[in-house]
Amino acid sequence: MSNDRVRVRGLSIFRPIIYGNTAVVLTQKERDASPTPDHTHRWTVAVRSAASPPDGDQVGGADDLSYFIKRVSFKLHDTYPNPSRNVDKSPFELTETGWGEFEIQIRITFVTESGEKAATLYHHLKLHPWTASGEPEIPPLDVAMKLGPVHSWQYDEVVFNDPYQNFLNVLTSHPPTPLPKSKRKPVPFHLAHPASLEASKGGTPEFTMQMAKEEEERLKEARARVVEEQEKWRAMLIEKENELVDLQKRVNGIEAA
Amino acid sequence: MNVSAADIRSVFNVPDAAVAGPSQIKKPTTTVRKPEGMPRELYALIGPSTPALSAQLAKPRLKQKPNFGGIAPRTKWHVSILLSQYFVISYSSDRELRTFKNPARKGDLELRHWEKAGTDSAADYPFAKYDVQPNSYQYSLDEYTRLLEDRDWTKEETDYLLSVVKEYDSRWYIVHDRYNFPGGPERTLEDLKDRYCSVCRKLIRNRPWAGDDASKTLLISSYQFDKEREVTRKKYLKSLEDRTPDQIAEEEALYVEVKRLEQNERRFKRDRENLLRTLAGIDSGLPDIVEDDPLPLAILEGSKTKTKKTKGVAEAESPATPAATPAPTVKKPIKSAAYDAQHCIIRTETPSAAIATKAAHQPAYLRSFKLPAPKAAIAPKVTQALAELGISHTRLVMPTRENALLLDSLIEATTTLVETKRAYDKAEYEIQVLKNRLGVREKSQPAEGTEGKVEGSAGMGVDDVQVGKEAEETEGEDGRAQSILSARSGGRSRKHARRSMSISSVDTVSTRANNKRQKRN
Repeated sequence: MSNDRVRVRGLSIFRPIIYGNTAVVLTQKERDASPTPDHTHRWTVAVRSAASPPDGDQVGGADDLSYFIKRVSFKLHDTYPNPSRNVDKSPFELTETGWGEFEIQIRITFVTESGEKAATLYHHLKLHPWTASGEPEIPPLDVAMKLGPVHSWQYDEVVFNDPYQNFLNVLTSHPPTPLPKSKRKPVPFHLAHPASLEASKGGTPEFTMQMAKEEEERLKEARARVVEEQEKWRAMLIEKENELVDLQKRVNGIEAA
Repeated sequence: MNVSAADIRSVFNVPDAAVAGPSQIKKPTTTVRKPEGMPRELYALIGPSTPALSAQLAKPRLKQKPNFGGIAPRTKWHVSILLSQYFVISYSSDRELRTFKNPARKGDLELRHWEKAGTDSAADYPFAKYDVQPNSYQYSLDEYTRLLEDRDWTKEETDYLLSVVKEYDSRWYIVHDRYNFPGGPERTLEDLKDRYCSVCRKLIRNRPWAGDDASKTLLISSYQFDKEREVTRKKYLKSLEDRTPDQIAEEEALYVEVKRLEQNERRFKRDRENLLRTLAGIDSGLPDIVEDDPLPLAILEGSKTKTKKTKGVAEAESPATPAATPAPTVKKPIKSAAYDAQHCIIRTETPSAAIATKAAHQPAYLRSFKLPAPKAAIAPKVTQALAELGISHTRLVMPTRENALLLDSLIEATTTLVETKRAYDKAEYEIQVLKNRLGVREKSQPAEGTEGKVEGSAGMGVDDVQVGKEAEETEGEDGRAQSILSARSGGRSRKHARRSMSISSVDTVSTRANNKRQKRN
């Protein structure tokens, strides 16, 4: 069709995704069996759809994202053999072992129909358990093992502006699984909301609409407090300004005299 | 003022003859009836010519009279309260005299009143809730220069206006009556109201708002005031009042004439249509006959095209009230909204001027990359203030569109807060400087000015000056100490931020992302 490659103006369409990693501590047996016995953790870094599958023990990934993602490249630490790993089909994830945390560059290439350039994002590989203080803490391995898998995931939305008609058709024929409305599983921990630490414990977390709602509430509350504070300060400022004007008059009066 | 009734009708854009004209003339055959609720004498006085008022003259619906349990008629009640100040009256057994405090009242005045014995004696005074304080707005110097500058108004006069309005509780006739700004020009009531409303509107619009947009728009629209329209309205009301009996009679006559013509026209048309139908069949006829032509004036002109034209012009000329002309919104069926939500589609108004070039296209991005950022100059302070509230503006748990917008308004509010604080510090500093200068002058002047003083007092004067200087110095040191403190705390917070950044995965992510974004831009 000739009008396939026409951009649909005034329309933006997004897809909720998550990216991040899950890490588990290796048992001594597993370490002995591996060619790299100094590696303490096995981790999986992934780009997935935000909603979790109804069954299964995985964060996100209810939908197959290959309808708009062609390739995801993970750039690992240089000490890994051929550190640039490309994943060309769903699931877009990579499992490795290691002993240290580092920054992973994730490059998402979109399907050709989109006509979009690749998007690059960064994820800090998280191996050690989250702490309430936010201070990094490396507990002994046996303690960490008891605490269970470590999850570090970031929700985000890929926004396409004025998509091509045929790409829009592709997208609309794959509506994303909506996030569950309420909390069924633990909350994914996020540094922007340290209070969620307790709620994040006890199993595989899941992203929900409730998290967005709660964050909205937090932001609204903060704004209400800021506005209130600002009103207080403005009143004080106005008072000071009036005082200043009076003083100025007095000073002028004296100087003129 | 020579304004004919016809002019007035056309200016008021009276849409229907039923509103403006005497309804009984429309149907001359029906007997003239007195509108309900209008006293017979009044009707005899004003006659049938003021039907516009008849709607308002309908019998007002009054609130039901309170039922005092059937024991005490109002007057007796009142007297007994008065008497109770002098005698202890044993009232009927289910009432008791209690003291109460009105929380709406300043001070600790205690009054007594009768209350039903069964009611809760600790309950608040029920009428206190009617003491509603209207919003009063104040503005800082900065806000005035930024938003409220006006050629016709000085800041002093605006201050004065706001204080008068506040004092008289926005009762505009009183405000106008008492308004007396020395040296200011003569202001009409509309001038005052216009200035006041525009000041309030601008302040509300430009200040950070804690609630949602709808309530903000609502508040702004409550301060809507169209001065031109108000002036015109009063002018025409006045001219309506000032009509001479002759003019009224002429208007009446003209109106009857119009109605008659209208009727003739209609009858003629009907006849013609009937004729056509009988001649050419049921389907023919004049389809564009308008049965009730709303504009009798247009019929006077005679032609149909003229009618349409007049209508269009009248509509265009009619003063647009903000409430009457809502912004043209593209109403989408609910089904489509649900579809959009399902597919995560957001539709925006396309500017028609947008040229479809490749360069203008905004590439695909991750929502969190476009999170709003505070102005670089005050970014550390904003970050610090937000951190106190447990919000980090560089990252969101769920960077949805709504949350990103909320964050934007939060940052905006915080920016205003930081700027207000800064202005406050500046004003305080200037006050200190002035006070010191004042102190120095007031102390030194009498010492220098009066010659006949003993040396001791002069010495004391010098001492005083020194004290003043010392005070200034300590003040300066204080200021310096403060600035050091703040610098130190700033440094600490920055260090802290850096540390937390290094430990936090997401922070580094976002900073990198920002770098990336900058590079790309």
